[in-house]
Amino acid sequence: MLQKAILETRRGLAAAVAGGVRLVPLENIRASLILSRTPIVTPDMSEFDKKFYKYQEELERRLMWTFPKWFYFKKGTVAEREFTKAQKYPIPSHPGVWFPKGLPDIKHGRDRRFRQDIILPKKAPEEESGEMENETRAIKLNSRITEADKKNDQASLERKLARTLYLLVKQDGQWKFPTFPVENEDVPLNEVAENGLRRVGGNKINTWNVSRTPAGILKYSNGKLLDCEQSESPSVKDSSIVRDYLIKSHILAGKFVPQDKQGVEEYKWLVKEELEPLLGKAYFSQVEFLLSKV
Amino acid sequence: MSLAFIRPFSSSVIAQKVGCAMVKPVHHTIKIEKRLLSPRFPDLKLDPSDIRSPKFRPRLTQQDRVLDHYYNTLESDLLLIQYRHDQIDVEGNKRRKWDMSSPYHLNRPLRKPRGQIVPSPTIKTRTWKNIPRLENITINCFVKEAKIKPELAIAATLQLQQITGCKPSPVYAKANVPTWKLRPGMRMGARVSLSGSDASQFLTTLTEIVLPRIREFRGISNRSGDRYGNIAFGLRPEDIKVFPEIENNQDSWPKTFGMDITLHTSAQTDADARILLSGLGFPFTGGERVPKTLLNDLKIEDENVNDVVTKNSETRAEA
Repeated sequence: MLQKAILETRRGLAAAVAGGVRLVPLENIRASLILSRTPIVTPDMSEFDKKFYKYQEELERRLMWTFPKWFYFKKGTVAEREFTKAQKYPIPSHPGVWFPKGLPDIKHGRDRRFRQDIILPKKAPEEESGEMENETRAIKLNSRITEADKKNDQASLERKLARTLYLLVKQDGQWKFPTFPVENEDVPLNEVAENGLRRVGGNKINTWNVSRTPAGILKYSNGKLLDCEQSESPSVKDSSIVRDYLIKSHILAGKFVPQDKQGVEEYKWLVKEELEPLLGKAYFSQVEFLLSKV
Repeated sequence: MSLAFIRPFSSSVIAQKVGCAMVKPVHHTIKIEKRLLSPRFPDLKLDPSDIRSPKFRPRLTQQDRVLDHYYNTLESDLLLIQYRHDQIDVEGNKRRKWDMSSPYHLNRPLRKPRGQIVPSPTIKTRTWKNIPRLENITINCFVKEAKIKPELAIAATLQLQQITGCKPSPVYAKANVPTWKLRPGMRMGARVSLSGSDASQFLTTLTEIVLPRIREFRGISNRSGDRYGNIAFGLRPEDIKVFPEIENNQDSWPKTFGMDITLHTSAQTDADARILLSGLGFPFTGGERVPKTLLNDLKIEDENVNDVVTKNSETRAEA
């Protein structure tokens, strides 16, 4: 395992050591952590999606099998009688009667032209402890909009439950993904990033590192971010370039609590659209493809 | 006077001369669907996805939670996990050429691959185009006692239908074993193949309700798998009782039947399939074993050939 990590790191350092000669000095290599909180609830649907699904579901309900009452309720039992009593049966066709919606096509107490609604018989209300066991009780959904959403508390992990949130910190007066220098050649990049996160954000955080492979790279020359074309061109001297390797990770539990005197002034949990104004256009355009739209 | 004959496919009689047809006899190879030619049943000519067709079934009836999770989170993670720099294709064990030592080798079908009968596929490098995904789930329920009590096969079919909400197809015995009183054609159980929202629904039930409540379940064995990305595991008759559909209607189920569940993925190897499935919520136990043939899948640099190869195999074996 360790060997693999070391090997991967050495590969990741972009031919840092070739033939024993170090091309990129260690202080020019840094690890950035893209820490994300994955969606907790299902994604929000557009109006069109809602209507589409509703239409398709209605179609499916019309085509559905008739409820097999004979399977679930034995004939002649009390349960069967109660169930039968609770149902709304369609009016059967009768000679001389005009049906404005066409003649009913009834089999097993169901009009086969339409969907079938099953009504469960209501049980007599028992004492309060039995409330939870009553299967006909209405299901109450929790709100998808949380307190943090109402207050627009961007430091909370409980905002925008349907979206992916990313951790952004203010280091050296600049908003960016938390970035940490590589100090020891034997520590792989992903561990540098994870250890760094615990140093600035406390130990009460449980994260899962997606992969040892970096997901992206950012190159700086004299403190200025190079765009994709510049960073590929040979005119820039290789050893003077500072490289940020982007490591991907998910937060599973706990929270980010900024520690004193660790260089993090502020932090925010943001969705993709909110990142752009803080990160700046140049930075955002180079990490955009790594971020989830949902 | 010359008459232009249109030559029929099957014979040369009309041409009034000896010879063979120059027209290629495509009528043997091209299948003609007579229902498309006949004017009798216009409904049967419609595609099943056409809403006018009697076979029409709506497919997308609700938001698919599993699929949303896959596309929003899992897919990009899988690419990052399985991506390897400088990866090369690992050629599978293919059919071999004959050495042409005999004249009869000419045009002879190729030799079988070394050590096996069916050639194994080439393992392609991981790109954004071949990220593994769950294709379908097959549930197979074979009841041994059904040879004595044929009604049990029907009960097993009903159980599958109850759990999955899809119509299963019967499974018949193939073998003839007189000592077991087993004859070909006996109805022995049922099988159902789930895809789309049905598969997602069944998968959620399994990973969120059923598997966590089975006391002895430690995870799917890492030895499971068919080498090409399909993972299978079994549930015992007492485990089936945990399914909510059965549990809430226990009176109707005095006897339940165990079943084999196969998770078909588009992964090329079992290891890749396991990474996908653990992302979908299936736990796995045991050490991961990578076949020897898959160990050398990195491009070798010229200077230190041996060094890279040994390192590579070491690291893969450890992981």
